Amino acid sequence: MAPIREVGFFTDTTLCIGCKACEVACKQWNQLPDDGFLFTGMSFDNTGHLGASTWRHVAFAEVEAPLPGQGSPRDGVEGGARAFAELRPLGQPPPTSLLGGDIAPTHLETPVPLGPTEQAMGKFSWLMMSDVCKHCERAGCLEACPTGAIIRTEFGSVYVQPDVCNGCGYCVSACPFGVIDRRADDGRAWKCTLCYDRLKGDLVPACAKACPTASIQFGELSELRARAAERLEQLHRRGVAQAYLYGEDAASQPGTEGLHAFFLLADAPERYNLPPDPVVPTAKIVRSWDSMAAGVLSLAALALGAVLSVGRRS
Amino acid sequence: MIDARRLLADPTLDAERRSDGRNVDRGVGTLSGEGAQQRVERLRAPPAAPERALAVDERDGPTYHGLPVLKAPVWTWEIPAYFFTGGLAGAAGVLGAAAQVAGGPAMRPLVRRCRLVAAGGAVASAALLVDDLGRPSRFLNMLRVFRPTSPMNMGTWVLSGFGALSGAAAASALLPLPRPLRAMADGAGLAAGVLGLPLVGYTGVLLANTAVPVWQGTRRSLPVLFAFSGAASAGALFEIWPPPGPGAAVARRLGVLSTALELALSIATEAEAALVPRVARPLRRGPSALLFRAGQVLAAASLGTALRAPRGVGRLLRPGRKSRLHALSGVFGILGTLAIRFGIVAAGRASARDPLATFRQQRAGMGAREVLPERGEPRMPTLPGVEPTGKDTSQHGLSP
Repeated sequence: MAPIREVGFFTDTTLCIGCKACEVACKQWNQLPDDGFLFTGMSFDNTGHLGASTWRHVAFAEVEAPLPGQGSPRDGVEGGARAFAELRPLGQPPPTSLLGGDIAPTHLETPVPLGPTEQAMGKFSWLMMSDVCKHCERAGCLEACPTGAIIRTEFGSVYVQPDVCNGCGYCVSACPFGVIDRRADDGRAWKCTLCYDRLKGDLVPACAKACPTASIQFGELSELRARAAERLEQLHRRGVAQAYLYGEDAASQPGTEGLHAFFLLADAPERYNLPPDPVVPTAKIVRSWDSMAAGVLSLAALALGAVLSVGRRS
Repeated sequence: MIDARRLLADPTLDAERRSDGRNVDRGVGTLSGEGAQQRVERLRAPPAAPERALAVDERDGPTYHGLPVLKAPVWTWEIPAYFFTGGLAGAAGVLGAAAQVAGGPAMRPLVRRCRLVAAGGAVASAALLVDDLGRPSRFLNMLRVFRPTSPMNMGTWVLSGFGALSGAAAASALLPLPRPLRAMADGAGLAAGVLGLPLVGYTGVLLANTAVPVWQGTRRSLPVLFAFSGAASAGALFEIWPPPGPGAAVARRLGVLSTALELALSIATEAEAALVPRVARPLRRGPSALLFRAGQVLAAASLGTALRAPRGVGRLLRPGRKSRLHALSGVFGILGTLAIRFGIVAAGRASARDPLATFRQQRAGMGAREVLPERGEPRMPTLPGVEPTGKDTSQHGLSP
């Protein structure tokens, strides 16, 4: 087998603007059916979660804490456009806005006191995150799959072969992130393929290609990890102390031994519907087998004992 | 050439969307994407009310709008029903082999009956398992690989072997076989007894090997509970349908002991789950708790009836009618094991829907933290060709 060239995603949630271009690009490229146009009524997120036909999902969380880079220019330099500009990922060209460098917060300083809505907005910020299959180094779905339909590809991604899957549904319960799902009318399990067809053609996955803010970055894992570390340091320097990386390697997430699609988050994982300490179920299962062995051996002893005790009496 | 007017005005475009939700006009586009094979029979209809999130108080800690973090198990009633039939068949196989080895000719009726139950249970189990698949015609794909990391794969191998062996053994119970064939059937009966051991317990491991908090959180007690629940159901069945001779007493002894252990282990399972109180919630509240508790009450009733603890019951059914009392105990026992298995599966479904169960379990150190290498958790021995990450040279690593 050829050596694995490990590629993946680094999703920097501090750059996500919640445009859902990734969701649309994913649906279109992969020719996935729609989800029925639901209205959740809880936020701008009307998708809700990843599923059999939804391989990218943008989460919207609202928090009562101002984040630098969010808010309007009139909040001052720290919260305004200039702060945003300095939060650009490394190596990105400067913005090509028509306003260019003219957005100086002083120009937009309001002469009248802020109204109640604006005041409330000052204590409020969005957390947006484009969620995707994590392509775990140790994948619960892959290890649970009884048919060998779920495999590791030459790109290091986890892939469900639709021509092998028999729809047993075990992977659905084995995924610690709730990513993979079975479509009832299709009968098989489906999830993100890391755009296997595009990778074969040396193309970037559709979501990363469509992302307008470089929130979704695609590349070799080693390079992505270096980029993420630099970005984290940049954010910490800028005073975003709460920023941290989620699942970038085995040390930070021992339960999965690292994700091939990892994240930069600015709040607790629970806010984004991510488990705080996920674990591949197989890592815990030896004790379960041991306990089963002890149980069934005592059952065998009981059965023999029952036969012998009655036999001796009769 | 593409006619632009056709694209703009074609009324079939809307019909396309309604047919498969892809918005691709088959006249001008081809379906060849990674998800194009996804068969769409019915699009999800917009629900009357928004998808209901769990009512979660903000004070309970952060969640994502109270939405589940995990996907609920997709299994329908067939899976808990299989847990029952598989457990029953496995336990009957074990008891049959024990009676064959340790019992004299007087035990032959029990052996015979055990073989019939084992074979019948194995056939029913296979039918239930195939029926639950999303693609039943592909059930043989289960035997395409040998994968120790997947309890479901291991269980399929065990059930297949057990089914073949117990079927061969049952042949001697149904047909007058010549002596050499009878000896082979006896051998098959013994081997079925050996395979019956993993069959009766592995389903607990299968549930524990998931991300569902209440199943993962009870991974030590669940396989033992399932093993004795299986034995209790076999004992209960032979109370209703007792074999002639001393075999009935053997089955009763095993049944009573197993029912007592089943009851004790159901309490242990709840206690293991309750190491994180939120994880044990579906065993204590809601419809799943009702099933689980009903199972415990029925097991206790079966035990009480079998031992005739409440003497009044005996008089109620006319004194001297012992067999009727035993049959009643058997009915309670079977209903009890069914309720416990359906209750455990329902609890898993509720647990997967509760994001706080996952979050609290992991924050309490019961996620990956408890299995870090320095904690001494035993690791799965790696066999050649089945390295867990799938990066080796086995067919797990073949390019699709």
